[in-house]
Amino acid sequence: MNTNQKIASVFLTSRFRQLIVAVLSVTFGISMYVAMNSFMAGVNDTQTEITFTAMPHIKIYNDPPEDFQMISPAPADSNTLLMVNNARNIRYTEGITDVDAIKKNLANVDKLFGYTAQINQNVFIRNGVSRASANLSGIETQSENQLFKTADYLVEGDLFDLDKRANGIILGVGLAKRIGAGKGDNVVISTSEGVSKTFKIVGLIETGAVTSDRSRAIVSIQMARQLLSHNRSYATELLVNIDDYNEARDVASNIAQITEYKVEPWQVGNSQLDSSSLLRDIIAISVSLTILIVAGFGIYNIMNMTVNEKIKEIAILNAMGFSGKDVIEIFLLQSIIIGFIGGITGLIFGNIIVQIIDLVPFEIGTMTTLPVSYRSSDYLMAFGFGIIITFIAGYLPARKASKVDPVEILRG
Amino acid sequence: MTALAVQNVSKYFYEPVEFQVLKNISFDIQRGEFVAIVGKSGSGKSTLLYLLSTMDTDYQGDIALNGTPITGLSQGELAAFRNAHIGFVFQFHYLLADFTVLDNVMLPALKLKQKRKEEIEHKAMELLTLLDIKGHEHKKASKISGGQQQRVAIARALINSPAIIMGDEPTGNLDTQNTQIVFDTFQQLAREQGQTIISVTHDEEFAQKCDRIIELSDGEVV
Repeated sequence: MNTNQKIASVFLTSRFRQLIVAVLSVTFGISMYVAMNSFMAGVNDTQTEITFTAMPHIKIYNDPPEDFQMISPAPADSNTLLMVNNARNIRYTEGITDVDAIKKNLANVDKLFGYTAQINQNVFIRNGVSRASANLSGIETQSENQLFKTADYLVEGDLFDLDKRANGIILGVGLAKRIGAGKGDNVVISTSEGVSKTFKIVGLIETGAVTSDRSRAIVSIQMARQLLSHNRSYATELLVNIDDYNEARDVASNIAQITEYKVEPWQVGNSQLDSSSLLRDIIAISVSLTILIVAGFGIYNIMNMTVNEKIKEIAILNAMGFSGKDVIEIFLLQSIIIGFIGGITGLIFGNIIVQIIDLVPFEIGTMTTLPVSYRSSDYLMAFGFGIIITFIAGYLPARKASKVDPVEILRG
Repeated sequence: MTALAVQNVSKYFYEPVEFQVLKNISFDIQRGEFVAIVGKSGSGKSTLLYLLSTMDTDYQGDIALNGTPITGLSQGELAAFRNAHIGFVFQFHYLLADFTVLDNVMLPALKLKQKRKEEIEHKAMELLTLLDIKGHEHKKASKISGGQQQRVAIARALINSPAIIMGDEPTGNLDTQNTQIVFDTFQQLAREQGQTIISVTHDEEFAQKCDRIIELSDGEVV
């Protein structure tokens, strides 16, 4: 320990209660920062998780081309008038006819987490006299589960029974309730083409997204192809998940280069999700920074008082040959030590608060307790901001201390 | 050898009204001299001492200490100069209350960093023994008597073996017995170690016993 550090530590420990108060203000600020941001991150993560239970990061499907061509080329001669009546943009094919070929190409794209093909079709579902419209999904159970953890949301039955029983079907709990059916019951599906088939309910699913739970019916993709009379590589859409959903736009533009079909990242048409996450983050950071700044004022106040109290000592140190720079170092060190101790205890205390929030019961939808997330970046940021603020709050009084005129003080 | 050279030094106060405190003062002090600066209140003797101490830099004229011109040096350079070459004893002891007696004495030497900590501690103990404060070295500076505190302040002033020791009424607050101890210590230092001592004092008796008296009146040397 050098001389300035020694003096700083003696000054600091000689006013023990002041030290504790200063440290506590930093502790409070930093723990609030950690708690607020962990909570907000938890909320955002839960929101995202619910959103992505049914929605993929990137969707590949058949869409009529946006830039359709005129049926005949524009005449070169200005004396000729071209008239085309009732021009329409016609989709020549339905769905993706050869999904296996696209899957093969996807293997070369970076940052993919997984992909699965689906056949989606609006159908009628009947249980005796009860009738409802439903959104029938033919899924590939293995890869579907890899992407959306579908099996976790089954409240009854087993997702993989769809592979074992050709006529098995899984209904959303809301849909099952609408038609008054339960597990083990038989229901009839009728397609718009007029085909009807009887299925047995092998499971019920609840994701928490109410609209989807009220209309969802799941069968295996082979069964869907059979029902809708399509070839064995047919799908209406190919769903792709990537490692980081924030990069969906970039990856989507990569995929667009290897396929003719429309490639759509999730942000298109879901910008409200994007913006609400961002807004929550802004609120969390601004509130917690405000708390930290208030803690900074606390330190500023205490250090200012300390400088005023020690003004005679500063003059003596000056007379003994300590320069203004030494005095700044002595007082700045004190606030940095306060910031450091407060920072460490703040992180610990913040973590405890987060764990308590994690235990608070909150039973809405699929949640049982308040959502929190444990991210090391929150802790690093809290500590970083804490140190920066204590540094600034300590520097101003320290500079004032270095400007003390020893003659004025020593002459009395 | 000249320990201190003052040439044509003037100083003004501007608050509350402009007023010339020191008027063209010039004098030299030789090495090993024990000098008292006397004068009535307001004669400018303390002001002069603080100019000599290098802490007050707002003056006209030239001051050289130990052959080094100090006029115009930066605050940082002056602080380093004070640390190495000047020791102070004030009217009030002005120790650092939160530190132990030993730490108070050692601080200027720790700052100077010319010796190892063990050597500094040894030197500090020697000085404390010399000034008869041995046995109190681990007490807080605020927990010993006024006379003892003043002697600790002297020990602190001596730790770096400064060429010049400055006192601002060093005995102003002491009883006869302690005054005698302080005076004897100073005299011994001047005689035996060749250290120059400049002391502002009100005490006639103290001044009479010094080698030389510089008397100020209305900002001029009489």
